[in-house]
Amino acid sequence: MVFLGVAALSVASALMMITQRNAMYSALFLVLNFFCLAIFYVLMGAYFLAVVQVAVYAGAIMVLMLFVIMLLNVAQPEPVDRRLGLVRPFGVLAALILMAELVAVGVRYGTSAPVTEVSAPSTGSAAVVPTAGPRPAIPAMPTPIANFAGAADYGHTQQLAAVLFSRYLFPFEVTSILLLGAILGATILARKRPDLEDAGGVRVK
Amino acid sequence: MQLPFLPFPLPAIPPNVPTEAYLILGGILFALGCMGVMMRKSVITIFMSIELMLNAVNLIFVAFSRQLGQLDGQIFVFFVMAVAAAEVAVGLAIIIDIFRSRRTADIDDVSWLKG
Repeated sequence: MVFLGVAALSVASALMMITQRNAMYSALFLVLNFFCLAIFYVLMGAYFLAVVQVAVYAGAIMVLMLFVIMLLNVAQPEPVDRRLGLVRPFGVLAALILMAELVAVGVRYGTSAPVTEVSAPSTGSAAVVPTAGPRPAIPAMPTPIANFAGAADYGHTQQLAAVLFSRYLFPFEVTSILLLGAILGATILARKRPDLEDAGGVRVK
Repeated sequence: MQLPFLPFPLPAIPPNVPTEAYLILGGILFALGCMGVMMRKSVITIFMSIELMLNAVNLIFVAFSRQLGQLDGQIFVFFVMAVAAAEVAVGLAIIIDIFRSRRTADIDDVSWLKG
């Protein structure tokens, strides 16, 4: 089954990502994990998000990270450390408890709510607030090719754009300002600073 | 399904996986990211763990979007990706700046804000 295989691969790559001592390897395992998530998006009919996941996350963001890893040359294995010796085991324990809780929530969600017959999926433009009660069965996903043919279906990029540029137009514009601020902030933070150049002697182009 | 430009038929879309499977998977990935933040010392690895947590949440957003038949969850994932891109740009700039002035990428060495 596709889901179980990719799920196992994604969990394994996440585990490798957090346990690798070499930052370069963990970045590459994270890229593998992003590709697994893109496969899940395809399985759930979110084709546009799958493409964006590969292009933006695995493409742009991870390339930026790899660039910084190479630039800072922190790819050497980090040393086994001495300080905060007791905090980390407790942190890992807390994360394990969190994992147990989240899995329990998922299992409970699966076993408690009855599945009933339902209606056709709305395309999201209707302001329907989901209420408590029996949850609807998942509608069958259209194939990507059906979407290309112009079927008005869930997950179609056109549907997504219709929602994004109508109901979510203001958050969209705010996001553009946020990105502008991020560009300016990153440029100011990372620019060449002669006063700091002597502190470490690091040559940054 | 057969496409005119492909010599072989496309594989059929597999049957629907229940939402709780995605919930459990997203929970595991989120907790793994949390564990990465807790146990690692390299700033960059912690940064990547945060990305892992964001992606776990995105997965659950898309799963519920499908469950409810509404696109709002996918829109939210779109915004999360945009904010994550901004966050990565600024965060990496800060990391570069710290590394340039202190020559370290170890969070235990970056404690001079501690009172």
